[in-house]
Amino acid sequence: MAKKRVIGGMAAIFLKESQVLQAATAARASGFIKFDAISPYPIHGMEEACGIERSSIPYVTFGAGALGLLLSLGLVYYTSVLNWPINVGGKPMFSLPAFIPIMFELTVLFAALCSVGALFYHAKMPKIDPPTIDKDLTSHKFAIFIPENDTGYNEDRITRMMNELGAAEVKKVAEY
Amino acid sequence: MASNHSNEFKISKFEAPQNLKAIMFACLFVGLVTFILGFIKNPERMWTSYLVSFFFFGCLAVGAMFFIAFNFAVKAGWSSSIRRFAEAMTNYMPVFLISAFVLILGFKKLYVWNDPASLAALSGGKSLYLAPWFVSVRMILFIVGCWVFGKLIVGNSIKQDITGEHALTNKNIKYSIGFIAFFAIFFTMFSFDLMMSLLPTWYSTIFGIYCFAGAIQATIAVLAIIVVMMKKSKWISGYVNDEHQHDVAKFLKGFTVFWAYIAFSQFMLIWYANIPEETEYYIMRSLNGWMGVSFALLIFRFIVPFLVLLPRGAKRNDSILVAVSILVLVMQYVDIYWMVYPNFFDGIPQFGFWEIGIFLGFLGLFIMTMIQFMTKNNLVAINDPRIHEAVNHHVTY
Repeated sequence: MAKKRVIGGMAAIFLKESQVLQAATAARASGFIKFDAISPYPIHGMEEACGIERSSIPYVTFGAGALGLLLSLGLVYYTSVLNWPINVGGKPMFSLPAFIPIMFELTVLFAALCSVGALFYHAKMPKIDPPTIDKDLTSHKFAIFIPENDTGYNEDRITRMMNELGAAEVKKVAEY
Repeated sequence: MASNHSNEFKISKFEAPQNLKAIMFACLFVGLVTFILGFIKNPERMWTSYLVSFFFFGCLAVGAMFFIAFNFAVKAGWSSSIRRFAEAMTNYMPVFLISAFVLILGFKKLYVWNDPASLAALSGGKSLYLAPWFVSVRMILFIVGCWVFGKLIVGNSIKQDITGEHALTNKNIKYSIGFIAFFAIFFTMFSFDLMMSLLPTWYSTIFGIYCFAGAIQATIAVLAIIVVMMKKSKWISGYVNDEHQHDVAKFLKGFTVFWAYIAFSQFMLIWYANIPEETEYYIMRSLNGWMGVSFALLIFRFIVPFLVLLPRGAKRNDSILVAVSILVLVMQYVDIYWMVYPNFFDGIPQFGFWEIGIFLGFLGLFIMTMIQFMTKNNLVAINDPRIHEAVNHHVTY
């Protein structure tokens, strides 16, 4: 799990979805790379605007699913064929159709649990009680947060830029 | 915003390309010749082939109705710009009805229960349920019902292009829910009557869902091909883009998994219980070379489409998606063929001119009805209240 560390920075609060999308595009265009957009709901096109790459979670899901499939095949093979063979209805000990439900379930279980795990890892969760930028960010406001360790961080410049983009408020805050 | 949203939005009147029309007429001609020739020279093969193709294209038409209905019922926004293509597929309904009447002529070559003595010998109330007049009534009721619902839902959708009334969409939601209930019951009976009763002593309660899963998978495959074609065509710009293609491809993959799930559920319970009156069906399909066809279904109808469509890039790649869709459609034909043919010709696989000719005939009819619909109506439901959701649709990674 990633280390939790409070980072200061500038937050610009916006009242409109279109403005925050523009602001994210502008922030990226002016060279910021570590900034984040905060919104009460997913915004179409925000990933591209912020330059967020596709996450590696789907690959984790596929790998974990494949692993689950093989492990479950090993499990049923060991228990039903090698260690404790029981004749059921005269069928061969190694009867794949009977094993498939177990293989399917374990594939899904591995894939799902590992995806959730990978999501928590990527999102640096759990974040307990982070500093609050603005309470209304969970209902009707939007924000762009630029951390102070970002390239080209300059408070005056950010304030000017964000005000030009129509920010309702630009303030100095702290975030994880 | 993604670059594909900056396109200008325009649609123009659809005109069928000359070569498509030429293909259509060639298909119709070959189909008609095969039908007449088969009727005189080889009626057994002609009727079995007719049943397979009749079921194949009927499933596409009612599958398209189901696609429209569930999209209305869940108030889906993204699909409103591609809904018209599915609506074009439902224009096949009158042909479906006529070909069903023709099929009744072939009952005596196809079904054991058409013979009164064999019918009386069937146990468990089947002699009543499978009386030829009763089967015919159910089949005709199903198709007429789909046609009526199609007239209501598609009719409202077309009317909305002119009036722009939002109330029409709300009406369609009610009709769609009604259609889904109707479809669930009548499609089950339709597949029981036409497919399962080829071997009237055998039964499987999941059979209707099995046919439904295949039908919807094939319908989405056709839709995927049309979406790719229309995205690149000169008639539409802006309304159909990679995002819609991506979601249709997701549906295609989803129903691929659903088909495999249902097919395996049917197989595994019968295999496990091992009761003679149930295993008969699968034994017929594991002898005389049918084992190869059975495995081909598993591999090419599930494993290949599933793995190929898994990456995001494959769903947004035109040629991969079209190739998988064609594979799925071929396997849908093989699936229906696999349900019908083992009951005939001493269980030995037969394939050749009779199957291809009749299939081409139906294909010609299907293309003809689609061209007719697309030429007459707008290619996009332009006044749909959710059209803005569709044009701004964006699939996040």
